[in-house]
Amino acid sequence: MSRSSPVPRVVPAVLGSPALRLAGWRLLTAVPILLGVSILMFILLNLIPGSAAVQLLGPEATPQQIAQLEEEMGLNRPPVVRYVDWLSHAVRGDLGRSLVSRQPIADVLPARLAVTGELVGLAFVISLVVAIPLALLAARRPNRLLDRVSMVVSTAGLSVANYVLALLLVLLFAVKLSWFPAIGYVPLSESVSGNLHAMALPAFAMAFPLLCFYTRFLRSDLVDQMQGQDYVMTARAKGLGPWQVLLRHAFRNSSFGLITIVGLNISGLIGATVIIESIFSLPGIGQYLLQGILTRDYIVVQAIVLVFAIITVLANLMADVLYAVLDPRIRYGNH
Amino acid sequence: MSEAVLKVENLRVRFDRGGRRVQAVNGLTYQLRAGRTLAIIGESGSGKTVSSRALMGLLPATATVTGSARLDGVELVGMPEDEMRHHRGADIAMVFQDPTRSLNPTMRVGTQITEAIRAHSPVEPAAAKRRALELLSLVRIADPHRRFHEYPHQLSGGMRQRVMIAIALSSDPKVLIADEATTALDVTTQAQIMELLAELRSRLGTAIILISHDLGLAASYADDVIVMYAGRAVEYAPTRILFAQMRMPYTRALLDAIPRLERASHTRLPVTPGQPPDLIALPPGCTFEPRCARAQPECRDSRPPFVEHEIGHWWACWYPCKDGEPL
Amino acid sequence: MAITEAATPSVLMTDEGPPVPSRAWLRRLRIAAPAVLIVLIFVACFVLPLVAPIAKPTGGDILNSLQPAFTPGHLLGTDDNGNDILARILYGGRTSLIVALTVNLLGLVIGGGLGALAAQAGGIVDGVIMRLFDVLIAIPSLALIVAVSLSLGPGLRNTILTLAFFSVPAFARISRAEALRLREQPFMVAAKLSGTSTGRILVRHLAPNIGPALMTFAMLGMGIVMVIEGALSFLGLGIRPPAPSWGNMIFQGQLSLSGTPMLVVWPSVMLFLTVVGFNQFGEALRARWSGP
Repeated sequence: MSRSSPVPRVVPAVLGSPALRLAGWRLLTAVPILLGVSILMFILLNLIPGSAAVQLLGPEATPQQIAQLEEEMGLNRPPVVRYVDWLSHAVRGDLGRSLVSRQPIADVLPARLAVTGELVGLAFVISLVVAIPLALLAARRPNRLLDRVSMVVSTAGLSVANYVLALLLVLLFAVKLSWFPAIGYVPLSESVSGNLHAMALPAFAMAFPLLCFYTRFLRSDLVDQMQGQDYVMTARAKGLGPWQVLLRHAFRNSSFGLITIVGLNISGLIGATVIIESIFSLPGIGQYLLQGILTRDYIVVQAIVLVFAIITVLANLMADVLYAVLDPRIRYGNH
Repeated sequence: MSEAVLKVENLRVRFDRGGRRVQAVNGLTYQLRAGRTLAIIGESGSGKTVSSRALMGLLPATATVTGSARLDGVELVGMPEDEMRHHRGADIAMVFQDPTRSLNPTMRVGTQITEAIRAHSPVEPAAAKRRALELLSLVRIADPHRRFHEYPHQLSGGMRQRVMIAIALSSDPKVLIADEATTALDVTTQAQIMELLAELRSRLGTAIILISHDLGLAASYADDVIVMYAGRAVEYAPTRILFAQMRMPYTRALLDAIPRLERASHTRLPVTPGQPPDLIALPPGCTFEPRCARAQPECRDSRPPFVEHEIGHWWACWYPCKDGEPL
Repeated sequence: MAITEAATPSVLMTDEGPPVPSRAWLRRLRIAAPAVLIVLIFVACFVLPLVAPIAKPTGGDILNSLQPAFTPGHLLGTDDNGNDILARILYGGRTSLIVALTVNLLGLVIGGGLGALAAQAGGIVDGVIMRLFDVLIAIPSLALIVAVSLSLGPGLRNTILTLAFFSVPAFARISRAEALRLREQPFMVAAKLSGTSTGRILVRHLAPNIGPALMTFAMLGMGIVMVIEGALSFLGLGIRPPAPSWGNMIFQGQLSLSGTPMLVVWPSVMLFLTVVGFNQFGEALRARWSGP
């Protein structure tokens, strides 16, 4: 009698699966999108009045000085030439040098990505650690006190602007209570506790809207299943307790949707880092981008926006692929 | 004659929702013996499904159940939920109508069976798996090892229903309720499932309650039949007696409405006019009176009692059909 | 009213917790309450300065700065430039609301129109339009908006254009998805088969059916646009001081957060209330138009 185990069965299933085909196709279409992004940004940035040379030299500069610096920086070449030049370097991984600081962007990027990555990662962790238990408890007793309160708070929470929240957090926890620092970053290598202490407020400011959204989504999905799906009735008829039904059946199915949403949220979160990193003075790529924009350092802006776009495309792709892999109806196709 | 494994007496279920009160089951009485099959036949809204869910304690909080339902002497009505959970699935189990939606699409078939097993006895996963494979063979699923690891969408409708039956039988229940279990299946598969149930009944001695709107199904597979209308039992008898000496005009109407090959083609189907009554505002008299061809004035004013008029044959009618009399 | 027999068992089977009282008035309240809030805010920002003795929002005397609340003539006090806070909030509200309204209107008409057109026309037109919007959507919105804002410059008109850059693709997506969904409906197929022109289909059949979905999205969009406009002004782009907008008031207030927190709190509260109002209104509309 053959003993078939599920493990070897999964691997061939994934390799030949629609999930991989989907991933391949999406990667292919990502390339023109990224090209489009870089072209668009280039056009926009060229419309910005006042070049980096003007910024560097200050308002006292004479037109001759500006012209000379622009010549040095190569800013007076025609746009198409500049774009092609940039592109040919970018595809080889050379994102150019910052016009302002002369540093190669590719060198600066890893450290900054680490900071932003940590911020975004912490935000997700905080939001899920709070949202999942809260939504489960709310869905366990729908329309009772906990459910109603948490829904009202989450709904209201989604109406708060993240910069407003960040400032209020600083006001309360940094200024009034002095529990956390208002600005500043401590690298992980220096001190783990220092790092977490400094990241606490910014991570929470980013996590809060996510938290509200996930709580609402999860609670609504769970309740829909518990009240509407026939397999819930079957599970109850087996003699399973309410928590077992909620966790093993309803939450299991909801988690697929949740993972997908988390993936899709990544791009919105990256955008939010621009503001949050500025408020809290964190040396991440969001702050780098903002500095680049304010100093008209178009090379930096071009590079960072490209990085943003790549992250967005990859995150969306991963979300779609993960969903295809997790949902057995897609993974194993039809009989 | 074996002792009744399930004794239901004057079962009533009412729903209170949004200020409205609906009496879904209005006094149901029957007995079920081990190894026998009882068919509960009725239209939608007759209370057949609600009464069975009441036995399992699967009704929402808006429902109030009164009366008595004794399973092997244990009173199910009013049993607290945590106690009920021990009986649910273990002593009394249910198979639902739509196997496609009744199985969790993201969980393997095997896991859904072992989950049922382990809900009632603390066995090792390996032992649970062995038992699950046994059950899959019991319900005549070919290649149980392969099916164990598959997902519901990889099985056919008939196979899914067999899995549901396997789940229901996993803890050897005394009573199995098949709630429209074959309605969603095609005719051939329907017959196969019904044959399987009959076979399992004689092998395991499980008592079966068949809930259906199909009187023909009752005729083929049930030992006893109860006919429900508007929340009440209106006729109850062993199958042979019921079909030989049908008393209730409603039951006659149900029977006549079944399309038959013997009739000439293009004959009008004798359909009973009207609708079942609104369960919120039940009339004082017989609930079937507005649609009954035999109705007399007193039928509208007073409700006929549900009484054992002949041995083993109960009905509720002032003017029941006599033997051989047309409707 | 008779309950049909088919409805009785399944409807009653759902487990909804404690019974809910009559729902009609609750539904009406759910739409009315946020609507009233929105109207009050509009009236406060647009009408009140015309009828009540409210000071000017700019041109304050620096010697008059940081007066506390309830100073005569300055109900909420003055900011660090001597400007009346209440006036700045009301006039700032005007600006923020005008921006949000215009941007959403542009999005609704242009984006909604393009999306529906893309869905209806199909083929290359659809492909081109949607690829274009895909590129816009691939850039995290804040980054895109900041960049566009820089190239266009600050000021009211440019801020509106900048935000429209972000709003139009979003509306187009929704509009296209809805239109595609509707395209398969029998009445649409019938219209096409009977030879109705594309334009007529768009106006007579499509618009009334995707209208509700777009309107709901526009309500949610009001809140989103206001927050982003606030973010832009907060970053020093968008609406430049001394012209007030809730966003730049929050930014200015940030500088003296520890000393005079109310400079941040007042515009934040107003922003919050307005966004809540629009969000709730949008949700209530959606519930009403999709529910039973």
